[in-house]
Amino acid sequence: MVLIAFATVAILLICILARIYSILPRSTKTRHSHHSRDSCRLAVFLGSGGHTSEALSLLSSLDFSRYSPRTYICSAGDLLSAKKAVAVEAAKAAESPSHPTQETRLNKPYSIITIPRARRVHQSLLTTPLSAARSLAVCLYYVMLLPLISGEPFADVVLLNGPGTCCIVCLAIYFSRFFGLPSPKIIYVESFARVRSLSLTGKLLRLFVDRFIVQWPDLLRDQGRGECRGWLV
Amino acid sequence: MHVFVTVGSTRFDNLVQRALSDAVLDVLRAKGYSKVVVQCGNSEFDSKAFKQSGDTWVRRDHGEVEVWRFKPSLQEDYEQADLVISHAGSGTILDVLRMRKPLIVIPNETLLDNHQQELASALEDLGHLRASTVSGLPETIQTLEPSDFVPFPQFNGSRFREMLDEEMGFAP
Repeated sequence: MVLIAFATVAILLICILARIYSILPRSTKTRHSHHSRDSCRLAVFLGSGGHTSEALSLLSSLDFSRYSPRTYICSAGDLLSAKKAVAVEAAKAAESPSHPTQETRLNKPYSIITIPRARRVHQSLLTTPLSAARSLAVCLYYVMLLPLISGEPFADVVLLNGPGTCCIVCLAIYFSRFFGLPSPKIIYVESFARVRSLSLTGKLLRLFVDRFIVQWPDLLRDQGRGECRGWLV
Repeated sequence: MHVFVTVGSTRFDNLVQRALSDAVLDVLRAKGYSKVVVQCGNSEFDSKAFKQSGDTWVRRDHGEVEVWRFKPSLQEDYEQADLVISHAGSGTILDVLRMRKPLIVIPNETLLDNHQQELASALEDLGHLRASTVSGLPETIQTLEPSDFVPFPQFNGSRFREMLDEEMGFAP
């Protein structure tokens, strides 16, 4: 009896691991989607402070008519990031005062969603699993459940640049992939402040994201995954 | 000439106190900087020699020295400065270097993570700024040659745009 139970658990575990392995990004995978598209849904995580500034710098370089609509993911309580996102949107709108098309008149070109922090500064390690689980539940709602209900995909591409809570966003996307649901590509950009050592978030996400981008070449001296095309912010 | 000292949103008592010390104020005056503005954030400093008016502390016995905690934007203060002395936060570094202002950064050694130090040294090696320490600040100011700085490249959005456009299948 015990043996059968043990075998079942083992087989299940192997299946799960095999599935996770099968959805890991491959470096040999063809990168380019060859069909040309009109627009692409973009989501970006704003991790507060320097993370937010860098993420919005990256975003400001993009052609917003290509990346539309945009979803800004903020941490609960981080009003400043939301404000900065609105400012970037306003600046971009002023820059190219295009005539509102049918689509943009019906839908807002961007939205801001809020997720609970996985761990607050100084929070005890004991309660961290609880708050992380709450954060994951909200992410799963936006990434997996809401698209299933509404039929509107969450995003085609997600931009992450730290800190910790963005790992939860990545995890939620992996749940979608695990079940074979549509899921966005994940782009991770390490901070300009990281010169010789990756951040903990960078180390954690390196194998799981579709593009791992750093801004200082020294960070790739271990010959590990990633690419560097110089300073991006 | 004006000097602007900033610690951003952090607390950096040692830097603020050092910037307000006689050693630093004397060498600044000797180099021709007559006004020092200090954005001290949450740092503690000795305000005995200062007169407080509103949110600002002022003293005029050592050139003109002005201290305040926060402003919504520091852009204007960067613009007015002929020299910026800052904690080594990457946001401040980018903002100041892009305005082509001479910059001295002092990484906070009391922080656990030393990546501020790494960034400061890397940019110093490239000639964009001077990295110093709290105790070495007067000497750094003394030996500073603003014309020696290598201009920092302006923001180049095309790199990331091209990477993402390519990844998402947009024609270049």
